[in-house]
Amino acid sequence: MTEIIVVTSGKGGVGKTTTSASLSCGLARRGKKVAVIDFDIGLRNLDLIMGCERRVVYDFVNVIQGDCTLKQALIKDKRLETLYVLAASQTRDKDALSSDGVRRVLDELAAEGFDYVICDSPAGIEKGAHLAMYFADRAVVVVNPEVSSVRDSDRILGLLASKTHRAELGNGGVKEHLLLTRYSPRRVATGEMMSVTDVKDILGLDVIGVVPESADVLSASNSGVPVILNESSDASRAYDDAVGRLLGETLPLRFIDEPKKGFFARMFGG
Amino acid sequence: MHGGNSFSTILITMNKPADAPRESALDIRFGQVGLVQVRIRTTDPGAILDELSGRIATAPRFFERTAVCLDLSGLERSPAVDEIRGVIEAVKRAGMMSIGLTTGSLGVEELSGALQIPVLSHFRAQRNETVPVLQPVVPQPQEAAGLPALMHTQTVRSGQRVYARNRDLVVTAVVSAGAEVMADGCVHIYGALRGRAMAGAREDTTARVFCQEFHAELVSIAGVFRVFETIPPDLAGKPVQAWLEGDKLLFGRIGG
Repeated sequence: MTEIIVVTSGKGGVGKTTTSASLSCGLARRGKKVAVIDFDIGLRNLDLIMGCERRVVYDFVNVIQGDCTLKQALIKDKRLETLYVLAASQTRDKDALSSDGVRRVLDELAAEGFDYVICDSPAGIEKGAHLAMYFADRAVVVVNPEVSSVRDSDRILGLLASKTHRAELGNGGVKEHLLLTRYSPRRVATGEMMSVTDVKDILGLDVIGVVPESADVLSASNSGVPVILNESSDASRAYDDAVGRLLGETLPLRFIDEPKKGFFARMFGG
Repeated sequence: MHGGNSFSTILITMNKPADAPRESALDIRFGQVGLVQVRIRTTDPGAILDELSGRIATAPRFFERTAVCLDLSGLERSPAVDEIRGVIEAVKRAGMMSIGLTTGSLGVEELSGALQIPVLSHFRAQRNETVPVLQPVVPQPQEAAGLPALMHTQTVRSGQRVYARNRDLVVTAVVSAGAEVMADGCVHIYGALRGRAMAGAREDTTARVFCQEFHAELVSIAGVFRVFETIPPDLAGKPVQAWLEGDKLLFGRIGG
């Protein structure tokens, strides 16, 4: 049974692609067969973050338009056996995507025995974002702990509850999860940033992960290695926890409290 | 026949040039007018005339020269122009006037063109969206009164709208910032109200807004509204109700 998970947010720059890359790596690392698709036609970011941009020959639009087979377009990850990337096209615009085409590709991935298909949604609520979420079974809504991101996520949750295939069928709809990124416990403590509880209360959803603000995320993106693979990073552990929770594990949230200062730091104000 | 639908109209007022020489010849304003909808299930003029006459007999003055919108959505197939012409004639003989058509289906545009009668399809779309469940089940022998409240159990998210026509609205979840809930009757929210709530959407000044946790952006009753840039501290987060006294919109805590 293939499960389709959309990673979406409404607002741009909150960490959708970083999250898509890390979740798909995390799932693949646990032995799942995973395909991650970039729906951001015209911009193409996922392949950079996955570190396979120089191996893109055919893309998602090529498959939809029948220029190549799905097998030709799927890029096999060099680090993880069971992970495949389907890149976005940089030379087309979002009108090249069609609902039928997307359905065909997803059906074919299901027939190929993929366990998970991660759909990396573009920002906004236009066609690309709509198609990325339309066939989803589950949604990971990426949100930064600030007002405008929370508001946009609320809007996206409204669309997930009404404008998706599952919502239209009326059989329970899309299962929704929240994932907070760029979380800074220090700034929450000083009242500059919304807390996990604030966001949870406003959106009324369970939190599947809280990824702390970390310099490792930027360097991971720049080097084309999804941050989850940088084992020494807190962000990596937070993403790995989120993967566990996606698979049904119950894990306590980490990295949401300000780290306690050590004895010497307290004594000498370090 | 269903109760009056409200829809936007453009009111054009003529001024006598002699009385007010400097003013323009007309004003164009948008307004809301109640409208009776007749949903037909047959195009047989005889059957329609019989039934309409029967109903009108119960309240002859009420329906006299009443403007009527023909709702064609109850028909099994798209009707021909002549059939609808017959229906309009039957409605006219019953003493009412057909001023528009509404339906969800295609083909109504052609009817509209051939019969020179506007399409008020707006209604239909709105009705489908807001009260889909009740359509087939509840016959409406009388006007508005007695309709059960529209129950909404899911969070109303930013950008979503819920409208309870001719009745109260009960929301058993949160109304998010940027969301809009509206009713012709009262609005009851058993959760936080962070968005907009409008009661008495068709000028019912006795309608009220109730909520469990008050953080509203806007509250309106029968068109009188108040925008909350900041929430008064004695209301913030508290159970609150809003009501009209004359032209004044008042707010108070519920239960002390």
